Amino acid sequence: MSDHCNGAKDKLVALGARRPPDYWKSPEELRKGASLRGEFPGGLPSPGRDDHGDPEGETTRRDFLTLMGFGVTAAGLAACRAPEQRAIPMAVATDEMVPGVANYYATTCGGCASACSLVVKQRDGRPIKIEGNAASALFGGATCATGQATVLSLYDNERLRGPLWHGSPAEWHEIDERVGAALAEAHARQAKIVLLSSTITSPSTREIIERWRHAFPSFRHVVYDPVSASALRTATAAAFGRAVIPHYAFDRARVIVGLDADFLGTWLSPVEFARQYARGRAPEGPPTLHVQFEPGMSITGSNADRRVAVPPSALGAVALALLARIARRANEPEVAAPPDPVDAKTLNSVADELWRHRGESLVVSGCNDVAIQLVVHTLNRLLGNVGRTLDLDRPSLQRMGDDAEMATLVEELARGEIHTLILHGVNPAYDYADPGGFLTGLSKVAFSISTADRRDETSAAVHAVCPDHHFLESWGDAEPVAGMLSLCQPIISPLFDTRAVAESLLRWLGEPSDPYGFLRDYWRTAVLPRQQAFRDFDAFWDQTLERGVLDLGAPAGATIADPGGADWRAAAATLRDESQRAASPGGDAHYELALFESVPLRDGRHANNPWLLELPDPITKMTWGNVALIAPSLATQLGLGDGDVVSLTTADGAIEIPVFQQPGQHPRTLSVALGYGRRQVGKAGNDVGKNAFPLTRLVRGARRTWASGVTLASTGRRDKLASTQSHFSMEGRPIVLETTRAEFGRAGDAEKLPNLWNERPQGERSWGMSIDLDSCTGCSACVVACQAENNVPVIGKDQVQRQRIMHWIRIDRYYRGSEDNPQSLHQPMMCQHCGHAPCETVCPVLATTTSSEGLNQQVYNRCIGTRYCANNCPYKVRRFNWYNYTQNPRFDFHMANPVGRLVLNPDVTVRSRGVMEKCSLCVQRIHAVKNAAVKRGEPMKDGEIKTACQQVCPTDAIVFGDLNDPKSRVAQRMQSERTYRVLDDLGTRPNVAYLKKVRHGQTT
Amino acid sequence: MRPAMRPTMILLGLAITVVAAVTGVTRLFRMGMQQGYAPAQPIAFSHKLHAGDNKVPCLYCHYGARSSRHAGIPSSSVCMNCHGLLEKQTVEIERFKEAAQLDRPLMSWVKVHNLPDFVYFNHSRHVLSDVDCKNCHGDVANMQRIEQVMPLTMGWCLSCHREHAGVPTSTLDRAARRFSETPKPATGLDCASCHY
Amino acid sequence: MDRLPDGVTEPRWIAGAPTLAQVTDDIARPMEGRPGKLWYALFAVAVLGLLDLLGMATYLIANGIGVWGLNNSVGWAFDITNFVFWIGIGHAGTLISAILLLFRQKWRTSINRSAEAMTIFAVMCAGLFPLLHMGRPWDAFFIFPYVPNQHGPLWVNFRSPLVWDVFAISTYFTISLVFWYLGLIPDLATLRDRAAGRIKKLVFGLFSLGWNGSHRTWARYEVVSLVLAGLATPLVLSVHSIVSMDFATSLLPGWHATIFPPYFVAGAIYSGFGMVLMLLIITRQSMNLQRYITIRHLDSMAKVLLLTGSLVSYAYATEFFSAWYGGNLYERYHFINRATGPYAFGFYLMVLCNVIAPQLFWWKRIRTSVGALFVVSILVNIGMWFERFIIIVVSLHRAFLPSGWGMFYPTLIDFGILIGSFGLFFTLFLLFIRYMPMIAIWEVKGVVTDQQHGGHGAHGAGDVHATPAALLTQAVNHAE
Repeated sequence: MSDHCNGAKDKLVALGARRPPDYWKSPEELRKGASLRGEFPGGLPSPGRDDHGDPEGETTRRDFLTLMGFGVTAAGLAACRAPEQRAIPMAVATDEMVPGVANYYATTCGGCASACSLVVKQRDGRPIKIEGNAASALFGGATCATGQATVLSLYDNERLRGPLWHGSPAEWHEIDERVGAALAEAHARQAKIVLLSSTITSPSTREIIERWRHAFPSFRHVVYDPVSASALRTATAAAFGRAVIPHYAFDRARVIVGLDADFLGTWLSPVEFARQYARGRAPEGPPTLHVQFEPGMSITGSNADRRVAVPPSALGAVALALLARIARRANEPEVAAPPDPVDAKTLNSVADELWRHRGESLVVSGCNDVAIQLVVHTLNRLLGNVGRTLDLDRPSLQRMGDDAEMATLVEELARGEIHTLILHGVNPAYDYADPGGFLTGLSKVAFSISTADRRDETSAAVHAVCPDHHFLESWGDAEPVAGMLSLCQPIISPLFDTRAVAESLLRWLGEPSDPYGFLRDYWRTAVLPRQQAFRDFDAFWDQTLERGVLDLGAPAGATIADPGGADWRAAAATLRDESQRAASPGGDAHYELALFESVPLRDGRHANNPWLLELPDPITKMTWGNVALIAPSLATQLGLGDGDVVSLTTADGAIEIPVFQQPGQHPRTLSVALGYGRRQVGKAGNDVGKNAFPLTRLVRGARRTWASGVTLASTGRRDKLASTQSHFSMEGRPIVLETTRAEFGRAGDAEKLPNLWNERPQGERSWGMSIDLDSCTGCSACVVACQAENNVPVIGKDQVQRQRIMHWIRIDRYYRGSEDNPQSLHQPMMCQHCGHAPCETVCPVLATTTSSEGLNQQVYNRCIGTRYCANNCPYKVRRFNWYNYTQNPRFDFHMANPVGRLVLNPDVTVRSRGVMEKCSLCVQRIHAVKNAAVKRGEPMKDGEIKTACQQVCPTDAIVFGDLNDPKSRVAQRMQSERTYRVLDDLGTRPNVAYLKKVRHGQTT
Repeated sequence: MRPAMRPTMILLGLAITVVAAVTGVTRLFRMGMQQGYAPAQPIAFSHKLHAGDNKVPCLYCHYGARSSRHAGIPSSSVCMNCHGLLEKQTVEIERFKEAAQLDRPLMSWVKVHNLPDFVYFNHSRHVLSDVDCKNCHGDVANMQRIEQVMPLTMGWCLSCHREHAGVPTSTLDRAARRFSETPKPATGLDCASCHY
Repeated sequence: MDRLPDGVTEPRWIAGAPTLAQVTDDIARPMEGRPGKLWYALFAVAVLGLLDLLGMATYLIANGIGVWGLNNSVGWAFDITNFVFWIGIGHAGTLISAILLLFRQKWRTSINRSAEAMTIFAVMCAGLFPLLHMGRPWDAFFIFPYVPNQHGPLWVNFRSPLVWDVFAISTYFTISLVFWYLGLIPDLATLRDRAAGRIKKLVFGLFSLGWNGSHRTWARYEVVSLVLAGLATPLVLSVHSIVSMDFATSLLPGWHATIFPPYFVAGAIYSGFGMVLMLLIITRQSMNLQRYITIRHLDSMAKVLLLTGSLVSYAYATEFFSAWYGGNLYERYHFINRATGPYAFGFYLMVLCNVIAPQLFWWKRIRTSVGALFVVSILVNIGMWFERFIIIVVSLHRAFLPSGWGMFYPTLIDFGILIGSFGLFFTLFLLFIRYMPMIAIWEVKGVVTDQQHGGHGAHGAGDVHATPAALLTQAVNHAE
């Protein structure tokens, strides 16, 4: 530990004074769940910080320099001696944990129901970085922004420290007794017991719930997802006889038609889909076509070859129009379609392409509308895609929510029929369409329990709060896709006096309540038999636990016969009538409102996560709040400017929210992101943005996330928006270069630029990076990954408004073409590590220089903060610490409290104020791999070093490696004729190169 | 005043300023250096007895130095490996035993070799490249109480790194060299080898 | 010294025909008597400004650069603008004292002292900003090459213009200070001899280094001042050239221009003379020295302003031309943005003050009206401040990647420090005119005697207050 501090920079001064932290946890202890209660504050290691001249920090030797700078006399300097630093050794050494050496454990992400497989970096007992598990066939080592940020949620200072009874701290045994009593009473009176949970992907937990069914006949499990795929499941049941969500294969589809399905951003399983998408559309492969019909610009739409803006009310009509055309080609009886919602030429060509690629095309819709989904299913059936690009034998289990059941439950609650209600992973008081109704119903429940990790809108109103572990603290398993299992193991012993839900449920059943034991038993009985590789369970268990994932193959006898069509014509008819009504709007209430999940905040469950709050939306580049996206044409017509607050009134309510002009937005439709406007989530997230969930309603048993007949009125007020990019046009400058499939293949423009500098002496290695603009979708996972890896501070809305965002990697997004329907370009931009760096020549103190391996290195402790380098950097990627963003009450985010600081990476200095910082190409990872290579006595392999942004990327857009090694992937990519360097004509000679975006457009 | 006096006075003034300046500046340059720091430890542990007289290898107790950035302070259990077998028990060793049994850290040692927070020194890298512990920690085998004998300043680190990179250690030589030929880059001299 | 044809009398630089004793009295009076109300009023304001500077600077250093309006796109704004502005101001002093001395411009005599003082104070103000603008001012000593040190030794980056600045400005400051002090010595002696109190006598005695005004002393004195003048002359050109390289050596459109050094020097002299003019007008009004700082002084300075102003305007034109003619995408956009972008108002204000205003000086009536001169001199300073603001901020806020474009909005602290620097400057200057001979007594005497004796050679050599002008010629002859 001591030497941990030595390098890992503990404030041991403080440490020595307080009681020694006991944080070394062997896996045994992890299992025993030995707790850190009461011992972490200030005690647990906080990682590297350059205290140099940091008035807020404790006095250190470096502060003497500070004072000296202010002219303390030499007399004062005589006393200059470091404060005594203390070090506490482990009591008992373990082989598994050597201080300063990171361990990696496989587990499963609990960030959302997609259940991505993870490998988590654990440093001295603390999980500090989420990485994807490359062993996973589904997610292959990638994660999303949310997943990356979940590690910070673990260290959320506002998590409950223990169970609550009527809002005040209680002991677990009290709670258990009360629950026991309540259940007994309910059982005796045959009163309804309901477990209301979000989608549960864990088979073992589902098994526990089965046991509840047996134990209590009056027990019912209701699954509720705020943003659900309820309609899709119902439609699948109707069309194919199974209430499941098909497992899509975008990589097998050469023609993809999306109807408002943001499958690259938020829909069902974005990481997996993004991987497939990039794989299927590799420029080297066969030509592909992606057409997206959507009201507002999603990142999926921004990547589409053709994007058609349609109002949400017309999506059904689009589906029908396509179906009519396909049916005609398939010689099916004529489908009576409404008048084409968009021009017939587009629809015809799309239909042609679909038909030409029967069996290798895919139509998906994100509309939570049974009729539309039914039509879409029929389309895929007629196109022969079933079993090819969408798989029903191995369905996805990632969205099990049932809107209709939830509605029934709320009615029962209102009638006071529910005796005991257990809420797990849900927060209806915030995200249900009628929160008020739900709360009144909840108040009528005899006994209500919530497993929320904080006092949120819902758990504030229940009798007992039994906080669940964070997923990084608990045992578990997951089955995102039928037969594809992954395990979940604790990476840290619980920080607080929380308890795994599995344990609570078992205990309340009166069963042996050791979740680890239960999990093992379940796998022994239920999983072991389903595989052949192992006979002995322990071997099987250890293997799987280490590997993290297990593929059991398709469940036996699941194959479904194609019933040849449920009654989709009825659905078609309904759609036709609706769309005709919507087509002729009356009065001034002729606007439409489309609600969507934003990439940063999704359904709002992570709304207290500063990383996500400050993550710029991939499209709007907006942080800290949601806005009403409006078409520029409409804005000018109504005389609205960005930030003008309008009130949108639908049949279900009204919302007051600032508008923001979004190119590509449908002129009659405004889009508002869900997940914002939490009231009780924590310091960071409270009252950020507006809550749009109440504007949803139940239609045909599914929750509709759009509304027509919306009135728009300006309030005359104006809000200040915090956008990180103010200018969206490239001004005709050669920044993001494109090529077409036609050109692609010809030699690129490789003119040698003149150079007045001496050539740098070539080092042993030369690190470089290649970024493929064609596969980058702009999902922004890399931004959070970089923030987590490099201790990038969160600065808050005010500072973002002042254009001081600290992210080391940003994703520039430019538009081309008309404002009504522009082409979008995403360009990850970070330090280009120039061979002849403009920043280096101007730094007066040599605080930034080029390393022998071609890295542009920034030395914080040498930097005096003249900002000359930032001024002279043509890429504007240097970031200055305008304030002391760490341990500063003014910036009260995770770094300002002892719990939040636990997430910091000990291998990266935390910068003090007044110094410049920027992308280092994860030099600490380079060192780690080098050291490992020295240790095992053989040279490092290409691809062994992965930068944080590269590791997380679902589309493999980023490749890092040694340019001197001609066989390395990066060197080979550099050979591509698509390769170019941004602003190369300035002679900066960047070591980061880009691959031109390829415009697909046609499949033939 | 008489003209004769003036030059002497001026000279005197100059002399005083120069002396003051020189001493002040040299003090500044020595600032933060802790050479000779030898704090008392909570337990009268003698490296002379263990590493010297009994020839316990450094890496037996500080095994971290082989695999980690940190050499590590041995845990009570490591002490017990030997002391568990030894007849002679002192009060302090009893305390160790207890600590090992209770799995509670016992006391906090006073760190002797401290580097600034912005320096990333990696023990394993040096140990694996056969750098003798003595080079940086001095003749520990003969120290009753551990003392920092080396300056542990960047200049001191670099002098060694330069030798290995075949770069002259003296400033003037390097300056002269700069004009004659372009020095071949050496990873060990990169800022980012220790500062990141 | 060139002789004038008979009948033509030398232009008179001193109103009336004061005796030498009178001159001494006139100039020494303010130091011995009490200053007028006006002085007190001005001083009070100046000190307020100084306090504001202290407060703001403390707040800045305590909290961080974040208290300014800077951001990721605009890393410099008011800080470096003020720095360049003040450095520029300094130049007039050196020009007057050094170059005009070499050119034997007699009219400089009544103004050079205060001009040199202004230089020193301006450089002090300027020096403040590189320090304040640092993220970690307590580490400012990093920018001095110090060796040996425990860092290995670690050097400064001699390629960085900021390091050149360090050398340029420290040299400039030292030379100016020495030159100024040297000029003071004979007057200090005069004051020593006039001084009533013992302390005064002692102090003046100490600083006049036992000046005895003997013939030999004068001769040496003149040689030394010539040498110093020779040293100072190149500085007038070098210092601001180097400052301009902070920008010229970068690659930013709007900064990256070879025209910068001459352009900046012209601008510096322009702004400097503007400031001198303003100060002299204040001085002669507040200390009623109309006799020594005559309209004709003001008039000839106005001419200098007209010249340099026109030079600056030419530079502006050239910048636009080369941007258009060079055809560089980014360069062109920058200048379009300069004239039509969000900071266009600053650009046009600059044009008004630096291009149009000085053209008024074609008319003698304006050159000789104190009021008009005062107004224009202030306009000149405003204009030159905005010139630097435009160059720095407009270039930064829209550079190469549109994604990195932003705006700079100054905060109260920004303004507070700008105003504060004026507070510091005027406090020092007002103290100077209160406690020091703000006109070079001995030089003026030279002019006076010349006027009275048709500018003939040496008179009353050996007399402590002999006319140096004559001795100067001798000294030169000696030297040759």
